[in-house]
Amino acid sequence: MSVELTQPGLVLSTTALAAGYEGRAIVSDISIEATPGKVVSIVGPNGSGKSTLLKSLVGVVRVLDGSVTVGGNDVTNLPPEEVAKLGVGYVPQIDDVFPPLSVKENLEIGGYLLSRSEIPDRIAAVVDRFPRLKEMMHRKAGKLSGGERKMLAMGRVLMLSPSVLVLDEPTANLAPMIATQLLEEFVRGFADHGSTVLLVEQRAKSALRISNWTYVLGGGRVVLQGPPEDLQENPAFIESFLGGGARH
Amino acid sequence: MSSFGFGLITAAVLAIATVGFTMQFAVTNVLNLAYGSVMINSAFVSYYLNVHGMTAWASLVGGVVTGAVVSWALNRFIFTPFQRRSLAPITVVIVALGVDLVGTFGLQAIVGGNYVSFHQSPGREFHFLGMILSGLQLVILAICVVVLGLVHWVLKYTRLGKAMRATSANPNLARNSGVKVQRVISTTWLISGALCGLAGTVLTMNTGVFEATSAQLYIVLLLAAMFLGGPGEPYGAMFGALTIGLATEISAAYINPQYKEVFAFLALLGMLTFRPYGIFGSEKTN
Repeated sequence: MSVELTQPGLVLSTTALAAGYEGRAIVSDISIEATPGKVVSIVGPNGSGKSTLLKSLVGVVRVLDGSVTVGGNDVTNLPPEEVAKLGVGYVPQIDDVFPPLSVKENLEIGGYLLSRSEIPDRIAAVVDRFPRLKEMMHRKAGKLSGGERKMLAMGRVLMLSPSVLVLDEPTANLAPMIATQLLEEFVRGFADHGSTVLLVEQRAKSALRISNWTYVLGGGRVVLQGPPEDLQENPAFIESFLGGGARH
Repeated sequence: MSSFGFGLITAAVLAIATVGFTMQFAVTNVLNLAYGSVMINSAFVSYYLNVHGMTAWASLVGGVVTGAVVSWALNRFIFTPFQRRSLAPITVVIVALGVDLVGTFGLQAIVGGNYVSFHQSPGREFHFLGMILSGLQLVILAICVVVLGLVHWVLKYTRLGKAMRATSANPNLARNSGVKVQRVISTTWLISGALCGLAGTVLTMNTGVFEATSAQLYIVLLLAAMFLGGPGEPYGAMFGALTIGLATEISAAYINPQYKEVFAFLALLGMLTFRPYGIFGSEKTN
C-alpha cells in the first residue's frame, strides 16, 4: 500500500495580522498568502519578526489583530493541536525534536492523531523518504547530528500527511551542502507534489532559488514582495540581502 | 545485613513516592512541596477506612484514590491558576509550601496530635541472607516492584506515556504534534497523585505508628532521591530512592537514627554542588 507523505495543499493566508507577546505586537499589518504547489518564502534580517509570524500562524503566539485562514477555515488563535489537526505541519527553528525520545518515538508522537494501526505504515513512508532515519530508529533524538535531527523534525511533521508545511529556518546550523539538499530536494519536492510550503529562511539566495513568491519582512512589517526574479533586480533588496551581507 | 533489609523497605517506599514526585515536576513543571502533606492525608483516609472495618489492604485503595483526587484538585484549582499568571517559578514553590503547611496542620487540627496505627499485623518474620523482613514488608516490596514495573510500561510502551515524556521534553512541540497537553498534565497529576497516596499509606503501615506531622520531613528524602537520580527523570528517581533509602538506613545503624534526614540533606547538598542535574539527567535538562 502506498502512503502519501503529504496531502493536496490548502491556501494559507493572513489578513492585516498583528501578533506578539503579552499584548505587545512584534509583527503588524501582515497580509500574506501561500498557495498549493508553491514555495512561499519569508526573508528578513534578524529580529524582523519572521519566527513570531510563523508561530502566530500555528497557534503558539497570540494573534492580537487580523485573521489567519487555512483552506478557508478561520484558525486565528486556535490551539496548536487544533491547527495540526487541520493539516498544518510546523517545524520550529530550534527545539524541533524531543531529545529524550528515540527517533521512532519522535515519529510516533508526530503521528499522535493517527490510529494505532496507521502508524507503522506512516513511519515506513517517512523512512522511505529519509532512509538515514532507518538506521537510527532506537537512537535518542538528542544524540543526532544537526542534519539528522532536521530530517527527523521534517519526518515528524510528515507523519500526519500535512497539506501545509510551515518551516522556520530549516537550514539553520546545517553545513551548506546539506542545507542545499534539504531545500532543493525536500522542501521544493513537497511543493512539487502539490503541498503548500511557507518557508522562513536566513539564506536569502538559497530561499529565492526554490521559491515561487517571496515576502521581505523588516521591523515587523512586509516591506517588499514579489517573485524571486523580480526581487533579485530590486536595488533595495540586493543591497540588504544579496550584497556583501548575504549569508549564502 | 538487617540495616540493609530496613534500607530496602525504606527505598521501596521512597521509590514509589519519588517516581510520582518527579513525574509531577517533569511533566507539569511544579516542584510540589505539598507532596508529603498529601501522603499523610491519604494515609489518614486509609487509616479511618481501616478502623471502620475495612482490611488494611482494601483501605489502601482509599489512600490511592485520595492521593489522586487531591493532587488533581491541587493542580486544577491552585497550581494551574498561578502558573497561568506567568509568575516566576519560585512563586508556585512558595504556594506549594503554603499548601503543605495548611494540609499538614489542618489535618492535625482535625485528627489531633495522637499517634495511631493500622489494625494490621506485620505477619510472620522471614529470615534470609541475614535480613529479617516481616510479611507486611515483603508485600510492600512486591507492591513497589509491580508499581515501578507498571510505571515503566506506561512511560515506555503506551501512547499516554510517550505523550507524557514528549510534554515533559517540549510542551509546545507536543501541542504542534496534536497532543492535548492539558489533558496529559491532568492525567499525570492523577497518576502521580495515586503514587503519592500509595506511598503515604505503605509508609505509615511500615512505620507502625504515625501522626499528622509524620511525613513533614519526608520531602527532604524525596528531594535528595530526585536530585540524585536527576530532576524529572523517573528512572533516575528509582535509582536515587534506592541509594538514599539504603544509605540513610545503613547510616542509622552507626549514628543516631534521628539524623537520617540530615544525612539525606547532605547528599542533596552534595548533588546540588557537584552535579545538579543528577546521575541520570543531562546538563541540558537542568
